[in-house]
Amino acid sequence: MSNDGSGKIGQFLQGEKEPSSSWVILVIGIASALIFLVIYNILYPGQDLPVLSSLLPMFEGVFDSGIWFFILGAMIGAFAILGTILTEATIE
Amino acid sequence: MDTILSTLVIFWALTIISYILIQRGLGVLGEVIRGLTMFMLEKALGPGADLVEGRKGSGAKVWIIQGMVWLFASATLTFIGLWLAHDPHALHSLEAWGYNALSSELFYASKFAALFGAVGMFIIGSGLHILPSLLEVDLASEKNAVLTSFVWTISVIILIIGSQSHEIFGLDIILIGTAVNLLVAVAVTANQLLTKANSNATLATPGWLIIFGLIGSPIAIISIIISGGYNEGIGHWLLYHLLGATFFFSSIAGISLYSASFGSGNALWSRTVAGVVIVGTLFTINPIGDVDPKMAVDMLGLSAADITITHQDNVIGSFLMALAAIPIIALSSNILITLRGTDAFVENPDLAGIPEINFGAWMLLPLGIGSLFVQTDYLSGTNELTGISNIIQLMTIWLIFIPLTLGAALQVLPSASGRYPLSQNRARLAFWMLSGGAVLGLILTLISDVTDLALSDALVEDPSSLSHTMRKAGSVIFYGTVLGAIFHSTNMISGLYRGDTVKSQVRLSETTFAPTSYPLTATTSIRKILATGAVLDTEIVPTFESNETGKPTLLHNEEE
Repeated sequence: MSNDGSGKIGQFLQGEKEPSSSWVILVIGIASALIFLVIYNILYPGQDLPVLSSLLPMFEGVFDSGIWFFILGAMIGAFAILGTILTEATIE
Repeated sequence: MDTILSTLVIFWALTIISYILIQRGLGVLGEVIRGLTMFMLEKALGPGADLVEGRKGSGAKVWIIQGMVWLFASATLTFIGLWLAHDPHALHSLEAWGYNALSSELFYASKFAALFGAVGMFIIGSGLHILPSLLEVDLASEKNAVLTSFVWTISVIILIIGSQSHEIFGLDIILIGTAVNLLVAVAVTANQLLTKANSNATLATPGWLIIFGLIGSPIAIISIIISGGYNEGIGHWLLYHLLGATFFFSSIAGISLYSASFGSGNALWSRTVAGVVIVGTLFTINPIGDVDPKMAVDMLGLSAADITITHQDNVIGSFLMALAAIPIIALSSNILITLRGTDAFVENPDLAGIPEINFGAWMLLPLGIGSLFVQTDYLSGTNELTGISNIIQLMTIWLIFIPLTLGAALQVLPSASGRYPLSQNRARLAFWMLSGGAVLGLILTLISDVTDLALSDALVEDPSSLSHTMRKAGSVIFYGTVLGAIFHSTNMISGLYRGDTVKSQVRLSETTFAPTSYPLTATTSIRKILATGAVLDTEIVPTFESNETGKPTLLHNEEE
């Protein structure tokens, strides 16, 4: 097939009202989380959700509560704020 | 005479004297004090004053940005406090470092971070822009405003450390934090009063609310000392509520009324109703807050005393608290109607800050009435609702104080910095996460608290599993607030450098704070734009987020 032909197909397949990437990622995230919860409940009925120390045994006795997932998220957020301040101030 | 009435009479008298002095000046002493104050604000700082440029608007900007960081910190601390309420051993591993995390202590730290970090810095930051704008002069000292913001941040850090460990090396940490905090508060008040003294313009009502917010707290402290109520439980309770009514409620009323008019482009709905807010705030007892005045007692280094309420105290306290419903309703209605203008729809609803102010104004009435029930229950000695006092206070912080101050800060920052937030879409998403997380998370916790209270009253010994599950869900949902704070912070910080520039100056009158430009954030009709008071010369500034596809960055121009 010629290059011109594939270009036209590309234009034909291009949607006119693409959702923004952030919404796509958000929906994928929510759907993945729900699927994970459902499958986990089927595979391990009645069991608590895994925590960091059950995924990474080297953190046994340290990160043995679900709160650490959230605290790690908050720490990433803190670094995101710090990173934004530093990079925005020094960007060309 | 009873403690409440005697203290309030002194408070009212001092407030009226202060108002007269501010309005009429100090006569021949005025020039001397003005010069001396200006010297103290800038020259007395020595080389410190040369650390900053003192550009116009820099004071407001730096206070608001630091407030955003505190918003994130307070959300995180509140989240951890909510989590530890249902899982007390979640952070047991930190005991290895000598830190024993308790839910109550985390809540205490989160209240310092939220009230003095986020809310306090938004109030002062917004006020530093609003008051000079209303007075049509420049701020007396931008340099002082910038420098004091960092000292205020240090004071909040000290207060948070003190909330976890009251004494270190025999020193009362909270008292030290308060001393530093008061020093900054005095500097900010002097700065604002000097700005007022430099102007001959008539100050609009929101400006007076901001001024009473600043001078009200020291007057409250002086009043309680003069009346001798500082060593009584009822005196502590009253002081706590006077501080809440002045620095927090009055200032928040001032900045949110200004921002509601400024952001919507509508004239302030009613000057009379705004005047009712001023009088009502100063001449009633605001019920919003905790029943336990621990925070005020710790901050002022007082020794905690059991509350003994006389019949007269109970009657006067309950009556004046019931009257506080008037300024609360007046503030809520004035903001809500100002935002809507001539129809039922909020003008410019997607502009960053407007949804927050609208949301906070809606929450004022239910939580004001809820707080009134809790406080009268406490004052009458019934103590049936004391168990939900903490969660009601958290709700007032997260559903009234933070939305209203954050909304005002989001409205003020573009004018102060010259740029809008990077993305209006991200600001809207952050609003939904912050307000949704706070509403759902705290309501579920409230339901859990009420369930536990009912079971305790019925002498049921087994804890309710449903209540435990609700508490768990509440803490997880509250995490949305942490995420919302992160989104708001990064959006505002990036906006300072890459946001759309604000092109026009504002036109001010006594009741309308309408900009000559109309930031368009969503599709609207010409009729609705005209309904906001826009004229043919009003500039429509689109502030949509760009949907253009990204391109590789050109490192050099390729010759073809």
